[in-house]
Amino acid sequence: MEQKLRQEAKALLEQNKVDWIIGFEPGSLKFAATPLITKDKNDTERLIINPFIFNNLADFLTSLEGRVGIVAKGCDSRSIISLIQDNKLAREDLVIIAVPCPGLIDLAKIEQLVGKDRDELDDITREGDKVIVKIEGKKKEFSTIQTLFDHCLACELPTPQEYDILLGEVRPPALELEVSGRNINKLKETSPAERWKFWESELSRCIRCYACRNVCPACFCQRCFVEETEPQWVMPMPRWQDNLIFQIVRNIHVAGRCTDCGECERACPVNIPLRSLTREMYNMVDELFQFKSGMDKEALPLMAHYEQEEAEDLFR
Amino acid sequence: MPPQGNQFGVFTLDATLTAMIQLLTVGLLLEVCMTQQPEWEPKLLGFLCRWCSYAGADLAGTSRKKYPANIRIIKVPCSGRVDSLFIIKALRLGFDGVLVSGCHPGDCHYLTGNYRARRRIAITKKFLEYLGVEPQRVQASWVSASEGGKFAEVVAEVTEGLKEVGPNRMFSKES
Repeated sequence: MEQKLRQEAKALLEQNKVDWIIGFEPGSLKFAATPLITKDKNDTERLIINPFIFNNLADFLTSLEGRVGIVAKGCDSRSIISLIQDNKLAREDLVIIAVPCPGLIDLAKIEQLVGKDRDELDDITREGDKVIVKIEGKKKEFSTIQTLFDHCLACELPTPQEYDILLGEVRPPALELEVSGRNINKLKETSPAERWKFWESELSRCIRCYACRNVCPACFCQRCFVEETEPQWVMPMPRWQDNLIFQIVRNIHVAGRCTDCGECERACPVNIPLRSLTREMYNMVDELFQFKSGMDKEALPLMAHYEQEEAEDLFR
Repeated sequence: MPPQGNQFGVFTLDATLTAMIQLLTVGLLLEVCMTQQPEWEPKLLGFLCRWCSYAGADLAGTSRKKYPANIRIIKVPCSGRVDSLFIIKALRLGFDGVLVSGCHPGDCHYLTGNYRARRRIAITKKFLEYLGVEPQRVQASWVSASEGGKFAEVVAEVTEGLKEVGPNRMFSKES
């Protein structure tokens, strides 16, 4: 699959069908892949596909000028469609190279399972439904439920719907909804006061680095409301109250755009369970308005559209 | 691909509105300091649409309907003008509850403003409930210009709900 990707990417640049190629190359840290954004056809030799291609590459599209060839997993493709819905991108400027994604391996989960740092592991490979970790010459087998990211366990679209080039075979959706949503379900069982307390303690750790916002393709505002000074909605000092308001409003702004790619939670340097916010908003939008983000490029954005009768039970 | 402005994604922020919220809060604090109230009374912030609910509130007044004096009203051009930030900021500044009120669906002066408000308020309310905010604190209603009686009822009901849940200490330090 990698070889085919390299050929296709090289051909696209050579035939001048695109100005840019966005994909993944090996990162400087062990196992990690890092985004590769290039105009040079020789760089395409470095393109890779493996279970560690975490980033949502759609994030880079809004800052590039010209036609772009982009390597897209299912969630990336939904973010691209969502950006097209919002009129931030034109479909004809894109060549989508679809990669059927079997789910990404969460290194933090692996570290916890084997009790070792990722630098001490020899190799991690995916074979069918098993993930095999090699440590000091010994093999350890884990199931995908134990090792994949939570959001990958409930992935509705592993293969992009909208593409120009498809590498490999279309994959069925992942259906481990219960495991994937266990944190949210656990939270929902507690009382409102306990939940508020929970978010207070979680958001107290936030250092307001804005990594969650910057990795998010749905967060495309030129100027974010937290940086407004007239009026100043949120104080610049990272107190939990303002951190929480930032997260609430960020989630409201990306409602109907968030595709549950889980990037915000992965990027968070202090491990705030942000997916418990984004996924709940994703479910809520589906439940209230039967809207799934990034599925149909002709659909209007959630907040730009309405039905005559909906959500009336919330109004007096 | 030059980034194109999205007609719906751009938030034009109105400084005067926040200034009004802040002024009301200062007034509220002064009130608390100056008067020794025997009992705690909830402070409710109302965003009323200029065409229906504000006129409805007027009618409630002119027809001498009684409703609790707990509500402070901000007039907005349309319920669609109410940003989720207004609601959250009001709670952050210490209001016990927020009421957004506009024209009935289909009766919007700008044709679709209240439909858009409905989606926005619905997710704001539901999401805040998930986070642990009592449902009584964020309320919305449709009140037309001829429904003075309904306006008085809504304010009474919402105030009653706020009395049940007590003062808003969500964002205070000791919460």
